[in-house]
Amino acid sequence: MRRPTVLIAVLGLLVAACGPVGQPRTLVPVEPAQRPMPANAGVTEQLPDEDDVPEEGAEQDCGDPAASLPPGGTDVPDGSTMDEIIERDRLIVGVDQNTHLFGFRDPTTGELEGFDIDIARELADALLGDPDKVQFTAVSVADRIPALTEGAVDVVVFMMTMNCERREHIDFSSVYYVAGQRVLVREDSDYSSLADLGGEPVCAPRGSTSSVNVDAADPRPELVEVDSISDCLVLLQQGQVEAISTDDTILAGMAEQDPTTEIVGEPISSEPYGIGIPKGNEDMVRYVNAFLEELREQRWSQLYATWLEPALGPAEPPEPTYR
Amino acid sequence: MDLALDRSRRSGKQVSTAQPHEPDEHVPGESAAAGRRSRFGRAGAAVRQAFAGGQRSWSTTPGRLSIIAVSLVAVILAAGVGASASVSGRAQATANLVDRQEPMAATVQEVYRALSDADATAAMAFLAAGDEPEELRVRYEDDIAVVGPSLALAGFDAVTGEEAAHQVSVVVRQVPVYSELVGTARANNRQGLPVGAAYLREASHLMRERVLPAVEELYRIQRERLVQAQSATTSVPFIAIGLLAVALVGLLRAQAHIRRLVKRRYNIGLVVATVALVVGLIWSAVALSVQGTLVTSGQRDGSGQVDVLVQTRIAALQARADELLALVARGDGEAYEDRFAELAEQIAGQDGTGGRLGELRDTASAQLSGPVEDAVASATGWLRTHETLRDLADGGDYNDAVELAVDTGSETGSGTAFARLDSSLAEAIQAGREEFVTSTVTGERALTGLVEGWLALAAVGAGGVVIGIRQRLREYR
Repeated sequence: MRRPTVLIAVLGLLVAACGPVGQPRTLVPVEPAQRPMPANAGVTEQLPDEDDVPEEGAEQDCGDPAASLPPGGTDVPDGSTMDEIIERDRLIVGVDQNTHLFGFRDPTTGELEGFDIDIARELADALLGDPDKVQFTAVSVADRIPALTEGAVDVVVFMMTMNCERREHIDFSSVYYVAGQRVLVREDSDYSSLADLGGEPVCAPRGSTSSVNVDAADPRPELVEVDSISDCLVLLQQGQVEAISTDDTILAGMAEQDPTTEIVGEPISSEPYGIGIPKGNEDMVRYVNAFLEELREQRWSQLYATWLEPALGPAEPPEPTYR
Repeated sequence: MDLALDRSRRSGKQVSTAQPHEPDEHVPGESAAAGRRSRFGRAGAAVRQAFAGGQRSWSTTPGRLSIIAVSLVAVILAAGVGASASVSGRAQATANLVDRQEPMAATVQEVYRALSDADATAAMAFLAAGDEPEELRVRYEDDIAVVGPSLALAGFDAVTGEEAAHQVSVVVRQVPVYSELVGTARANNRQGLPVGAAYLREASHLMRERVLPAVEELYRIQRERLVQAQSATTSVPFIAIGLLAVALVGLLRAQAHIRRLVKRRYNIGLVVATVALVVGLIWSAVALSVQGTLVTSGQRDGSGQVDVLVQTRIAALQARADELLALVARGDGEAYEDRFAELAEQIAGQDGTGGRLGELRDTASAQLSGPVEDAVASATGWLRTHETLRDLADGGDYNDAVELAVDTGSETGSGTAFARLDSSLAEAIQAGREEFVTSTVTGERALTGLVEGWLALAAVGAGGVVIGIRQRLREYR
């Protein structure tokens, strides 16, 4: 038995000595997986010159865009806008259904809920005596102003930043919330503000003032723009960006969805939110302002505690300014 | 005859070997063999002699007859075997259409459909959220389950080229990523977290931009292969026809030559051989043209229609996904709406009577016209419901719009209308496939017996030549 084995081994050595015998073959080369991306998400190298981007409200000068008409009483005169609503016995409100904590439709119940939604209910309660006498009309960001000018809704409560450009088309109540642009990062990261994120991918919605601010930050982060702000959270969760920078109200909704994230940094902008009212309905503006005076004093802190405090920390109601 | 003689003298080599020269035409320098008379009576021996003696025996009549016999036998056998082989090739190619090409195209079709359906079903289940109906869950899982086995088959198909293999690898790499995203979307949605919608949109984007284009390309490759295979089975077998022509011309000239030689009108053996070849030719012409016509009609009314139907069905599924995703995006779904409008125009044209469905209605065969009419009616209904749905959603009645879109229980819902469209298209596709199989298999049957027939006829022909010429040779003993 031994000899043949030895013989074979010797023969094998001889054959091997004749030349290289090659390497194991790889039939399917291993390629790295391509990571999925939201539609139209991508790195923006450099935003166009700021002069080319008409910053909302920058051109028109209307003084303080947050200054509204002084509040009237809560009486409803005959023939007024409020009277018509009372006749109808229903307040029609244009709202958001996409922003967690502000205006959002719970997918499992189909019900709208959030800070803005509750303010609309409070308004219906004040006017009609019943928080349920409200008809919500979901509008998109672009449809907020048309819904008012076309008279489809009585008011719009939809995270609407008051600025001079918008004031051209509609009227605003006094301020009911002041948002500011901040940064959402993973809890275990070392970033504490936008300044720490130089060169790192930071997500912001395309064409928004948020992305302008990220682009202008020094040192400049790598700006990743997406069509829809919720795509940013997907990218953060997938580890494709290091941070998201936009209004803290929106970030609060994201932090609430993902407990491994946190909001950091001081606000780098100030966005006063007002209730949108069709232009010329001065009686309505004064009525809503009176309602907001009362709200800021009483229910505001309660609503804030319910929706926003867990993510944004304690805060005081904003100070209204009047013309 | 003289004409044929002249023509054959000008043409191919095989003819010239069989050329009956006049006795006084003998070639100088071959005189040694000139006076010798053939001692061989038996044709078998004649064959041997002809090969052994070669040109030398041409100058003697028996030698010439032997050469003619050998050449004729060779050409007839070659023609018979050639015809038999080409018929057999065609029969096999026709069977291959039914056994391999069409099923393979249908397999890829099914992957294409299943993945488009998964996209739409995931969106539908997402909208139903809390009370996601079990049938949607099962439907989605079934759709995903189609991909693995089908593409494994396509991937290991021996005829799959490099291009097809690349597309297969794209799909099998991305589908798991896709289903993970759908799973994440579902989990978030169940907890009422809006990021779920973003995951679903990312999943759908992946499906639309990476997976489906690869499947579409794969489908195009398979479909092209089927069309090529179909036209290959109806091509004209020139080589076999050429050999047969040579054999027939040779036979006729041999008969003319022998007639001059012996002053007898017919040589029975050679007549039998000629008849055998003519019978074969007529049989083949009839059988092949029947087969060709049937394969072509299987293509026109079967696989060709199926192709348009499949494209329509996929466009409809994608439009359905867009309809639902526009709702998932909640007022932010303009891109989906635009794509819906584009696809709707592809399906039914601008006025709802044209597009692919209009084309199908104009060309559908009797078997398909029923389901196609149903599909047209359902498409009209669906597109009308879509208008209502958009009016509701744009007017802010989101919940009503969602209900209209996902409720398959109500008669008026767009889910019901779409399901009807989808099932009539599925029915039409099935009918088209059956039409294809019926025509093609009948076409294949038209060739029954012809393969063996040609071998038998060639044997008869060769036998006829041998017997016929042996009779003549005997006279020289």
